[in-house]
Amino acid sequence: MDSHAAPLRTRDSIPAKAGVGLRFRHHQEVLEARPAAAWFEVHTENYLGGGSAPAYLDAIRRDYPVSLHGTGLSLGSAEGLDPAHLARVRELVERVEPGLVSEHLSFSVAAGNYLADLLPLPLTEEALGIVCRNVAQVQDHLKRRILVENPSTYLQFRHSTIPEWEFLAQVAKRTGCGVLCDVNNIYVSACNHGWRASAYLAALPPEAVGEIHLAGHSLRRLDDARTLLIDDHGSRVAPEVWALYAEALALFGRVPTLIEWDTDVPPMAVLLEEAAHAAALIDEAESGNGHALAA
Amino acid sequence: METATPSLLELQYAMRASLVVHDDRGISAHVVDAGMSPAERLDVYRSTFASVLTKALRLSYPAVHRLVGAEFFEGAARIFIEAHPPKSACLDDYGEKFADFLSDFEPAASLAYLPEVIRLEWAVNRVLHASDVEPLDPRRLAALAEAVRARVSFVPHPSVSLLRVDHPADLIWRAVLEEDDDALSAIDPGAGPARLLVQRLATGVEVRRMSESAWRISAALFAGRPLAAALDEAPDTEASALLADHLAAGRFIDFSLNETSA
Repeated sequence: MDSHAAPLRTRDSIPAKAGVGLRFRHHQEVLEARPAAAWFEVHTENYLGGGSAPAYLDAIRRDYPVSLHGTGLSLGSAEGLDPAHLARVRELVERVEPGLVSEHLSFSVAAGNYLADLLPLPLTEEALGIVCRNVAQVQDHLKRRILVENPSTYLQFRHSTIPEWEFLAQVAKRTGCGVLCDVNNIYVSACNHGWRASAYLAALPPEAVGEIHLAGHSLRRLDDARTLLIDDHGSRVAPEVWALYAEALALFGRVPTLIEWDTDVPPMAVLLEEAAHAAALIDEAESGNGHALAA
Repeated sequence: METATPSLLELQYAMRASLVVHDDRGISAHVVDAGMSPAERLDVYRSTFASVLTKALRLSYPAVHRLVGAEFFEGAARIFIEAHPPKSACLDDYGEKFADFLSDFEPAASLAYLPEVIRLEWAVNRVLHASDVEPLDPRRLAALAEAVRARVSFVPHPSVSLLRVDHPADLIWRAVLEEDDDALSAIDPGAGPARLLVQRLATGVEVRRMSESAWRISAALFAGRPLAAALDEAPDTEASALLADHLAAGRFIDFSLNETSA
């Protein structure tokens, strides 16, 4: 399996500060008001065509570091990657020259259909081989290292044999990719499946963690007083997730951190407040650790 | 109950069946049921699948959504999504077949103009998201001798589309999007056909009417017919002004030369 020696950071790398997920409703405001965000991340699939969306992104890119976060490559697909989609992603990467490029440990394409969600994989040796093959293909095609994010999940497969944290660590080790540690996803999946969130964090290879995601989740009540946490990115970061984030910073050092909000997107000021909270925790984190990827 | 371990490909096909056509037979035996049934767990993903794609259709077809109402739209969308799940992760591309689907959709049969409004909205959507390509430099054409120019076939810009409708779909579309009920009620849905030019401008998408003769020439040019043959479609038209307008507005990106001008 290819290991990519190329640096994770390219032109205008993403700083180890708190950034904000940029959605369409804030395009105009960002250009006009130039909010004091350290960096922005956008969803790759929203900018693959022409017209006004990529034009806004070009303009915003001139003033801010930008990260591209994909949801459509389907790194876990046994049928392999869609070459047309990969080519379009490469075109956008070449156009934007993002500081980071990331995707998910999940699948979203089966039998050529896009299933519009980040679907859980059975965590088996077979799936590990397929994910590694696909990640290597993406990195070869984009000629750069990518980050792979842990998903939030609502089901597990009976025939899984590898814990998710080990699976992710193995993907990083075998392909040279980085890890995008979504602390909210760890919290959600840990609650839903009875895992220990702190142990998950501690099992990740610190030197591979290149970005952290933070977001809100919601509690869905089922009958019989049962509950399920849903990763809906529709509220402020929960106190339990902030606490877990502080643990993550202690383990990984200063890492670029993103506030994500996708449902009922609030005013930019609210996102900046959440980012300021994350920034304060980054400042408090022991800087002596350094950021493992900065070397 | 013992079940053979599926390959990843088999499992992913089974997940597809669960989400798209709600058939859990291939997947539920492989899902851990601790505290929640496989069906309840799969429902979380099913619900996201349906709501994300319904929203994508609503964003591509805002006028249709308002014309038929949210409840009707969502009902039709669910049936459409099951029959035609997307083939690309880029959801701006999703929904091309929605026009054909609604044309054959029995509950929508009373609105004869609806399929044309849908086709117009799809054209607008395509134009809106079309690739950014440099338009043809008119000087390249001017450099050709007249006899050579007659043999030119143009390549249309992807952000331009021509459409013919038998109902005033453009007027209906505009009035619905502007929520102009007075304008909408003043439209006679039976008022004759229209020939439309749909183009993305810096300010947004413009839908404008063309004369029958200008449209016929334009349609021939956009289909790649040689310039002289396209002009023969409507010999009496101010063809040079029309061509100049197309060139100035950047509606072509390139041209090639045919053996003959026919």
